[in-house]
Amino acid sequence: MEAGKRSEGMNATDQQKLEDCIARARSGSLEAWGELYREFAGPIFRFCRRALPAREDAEDATTEIFMKVREKLGQYDSSRPFQSWLYKVSANHCWDILRKRRIRQDLETEDVDETPLEHPDASVLDRLLEESSSKNVRGALGKLPARSRMALVLRYYSDMSYDEIAESLGVRRNFVGVVLLRARHQLREALAGQDSRGMAAGRTP
Amino acid sequence: MNANPNQQENHFDEIACLQYLEGQLERARALELSAHAENCGQCRGLLGALERESRLLTRAIREEDEPVPARLFRPVRERMPWAWIISFGMAAAGTYWLWTTIIDPWKAQLNEAGFGGTNLVTMLFFQGALWKGWGSMWTLVQAMAVMAMCGVGYVLLRRGLRRMNTIALVMSALAVALLLPAGASAAEVHKNQPNYTLASGETVNNDLIIFGSVVRIDGTVNGDVIAFGANVTVNGHVTGDVLFGGSNLFINGTVDGNVRFGGSMLTLHGKVGKNILVGCGTVLADSSSEIGWGATIGAGDVTLAGHIGRDLLVGAGRVQMDGFVGGNVKMQASEAGEFGSNSQVQGKIEYEGPKQPDVASGAKLASAPVVTIRKKEMDTFAGFSWWHKALAWGASFVFGLVLMLLAPGFFKETVESANRYGASVGIGFLLVFGIPIAAIIACITIVGLAVGISTLFIYLIFFNGAKVFVAVWLGRMLLGKGGYAGISASAGGFAWKTSEAVGQLALGLLVIYGLRLIPYAGIWTAILVVCWGLGAVGITLYRKIANRNAVPLTA
Repeated sequence: MEAGKRSEGMNATDQQKLEDCIARARSGSLEAWGELYREFAGPIFRFCRRALPAREDAEDATTEIFMKVREKLGQYDSSRPFQSWLYKVSANHCWDILRKRRIRQDLETEDVDETPLEHPDASVLDRLLEESSSKNVRGALGKLPARSRMALVLRYYSDMSYDEIAESLGVRRNFVGVVLLRARHQLREALAGQDSRGMAAGRTP
Repeated sequence: MNANPNQQENHFDEIACLQYLEGQLERARALELSAHAENCGQCRGLLGALERESRLLTRAIREEDEPVPARLFRPVRERMPWAWIISFGMAAAGTYWLWTTIIDPWKAQLNEAGFGGTNLVTMLFFQGALWKGWGSMWTLVQAMAVMAMCGVGYVLLRRGLRRMNTIALVMSALAVALLLPAGASAAEVHKNQPNYTLASGETVNNDLIIFGSVVRIDGTVNGDVIAFGANVTVNGHVTGDVLFGGSNLFINGTVDGNVRFGGSMLTLHGKVGKNILVGCGTVLADSSSEIGWGATIGAGDVTLAGHIGRDLLVGAGRVQMDGFVGGNVKMQASEAGEFGSNSQVQGKIEYEGPKQPDVASGAKLASAPVVTIRKKEMDTFAGFSWWHKALAWGASFVFGLVLMLLAPGFFKETVESANRYGASVGIGFLLVFGIPIAAIIACITIVGLAVGISTLFIYLIFFNGAKVFVAVWLGRMLLGKGGYAGISASAGGFAWKTSEAVGQLALGLLVIYGLRLIPYAGIWTAILVVCWGLGAVGITLYRKIANRNAVPLTA
């Protein structure tokens, strides 16, 4: 069962196996629940790792998310992909953590910053992308405000739709694109900052 | 999603390009953009760059750059290695400290005094209840408290480095805890010297703590004398109490306070201002002896020829009473009791023994002794004890039941925490010492009396009641409800039904009370259960406080 992958990446057998497993877990089978847990603990941990600032937070959150999931398993609508539901629960949980810790550095609710973004030069962007490794991107991601980081994680890790992102982050559907684009701009700035520091460090004898 | 007015009229802005790539653009706009991009290098370039950016982002975010922590897949008891390490480290350090500085020297002294190693545990417990010298354990208890606070501090700091108020709180608590022992440790201590003599005319204006084989106080001590050794003789004057664990205690001089003694023989020739509390082989109080207040004696042979100001409570093999008692007398003699011709008792006399006491003709008793004849029955105490145990079992069961009904979530989580028995016992060990000290510190510092007293109150409730969590845990284990499916219980491997828990509670309590009936091991079981239960409560409360987002697993 390649459950860690997104549902479209699963073949029919895997999908069937997962559905069986969920059904058994819902009827109280500990073995089935254990199977689900082992299957998804990794992906959910990685999700939390990207969404939350510290590794310990991610570990705790993973455990808590599974407590929540187990409790709410009865509410899961089996006509929807399980992974989407799982990521939605995870997103809500992580966002709750960030919100309660008051480290949402950006604006609180629906007030999305609408100041116009500078139109990028494709060639400059291309060069920046060429110079940036995955590791750099992850480093830059960690420096982003919570909502920007969360938006990118929801979109590019969990494959969430704009509607789902809007619901998870509590912003209007129309603003999701703006939030994502702003997040990308912030990421580019962070990447450019890293590069210039890296180059400066490189030049230092 | 209009074309950017700052750009050439037909160009599309970045957000439109992004939404186009992500399939979020309306169909008409998407077709328009697609057609435009075929002929516009600039927009095509931007689309390409954004797409590459998406790919890089997706790859970077999804890349499995670090392994999933093993603890997420381990059984739950291994979820808190830090708690294990800290708790056991501190417990080990505390035990080592306790052993090397208190028990070992004491044991050596006891050996010297004629008490073999086998008697040590008995002595410890016997002394423990009577020993006023718990005061001198203050330093130890404080050390424990400091260690407990360090543990708590570490946990809080690890979790909440961002919260300066937490740091401030922990730091000030630590400062208070660290400042206190300096003030409290003022006592003159003599160790590692076989003989100690305070010569006549000399004065010690302090509490005197002596570890020595032969101790002789001919001078004056303005404070308490706490001694461990073979022989202690007080010929001089002690203004405080005399506490002695050892072989022979002779009091020829004056003790203004109390005398508390556990050992072999007490010879009282002089004057004790307040009470005596004695557990030993022989007590001999001659006609010149004087006890200002009351006397409580447990011994083999007791001879009391002197003056006792208030009540006398004595349980012994043989009791020979030939002096004055100002209050009531309660006497249990397993072999024989005697009121000699010089005896004078002003209060009531209750006597219990295998036969009538001998009352000499000259004895002046205010009233005739109320005598209960009791043959030597081995199970007298046991019968009493069974009844008490049944009552205690019932009380614990009701307590557990009430708690289960009032706070089912908390109860369940605590049983879950008890499943981490190592961590629970370790943390419980620290809490047993730490909470009372923290409460006392709270009482005497600005934190306030109300906080301190209510903490103590809750502590006492859980000190007595924490066994219910262990009982349910035990019941689960015995009834085979402990299936964890090889995954962490907090991640859901913990099955719970309140109806079953009631049965588990009943069975578990039965087992615990059963184990407690075993001599010696029973005491250790009780201690273990208290630590375990308190630790489980501690872990649960910690989790509740630290993870306010955690969802209780109420079924």
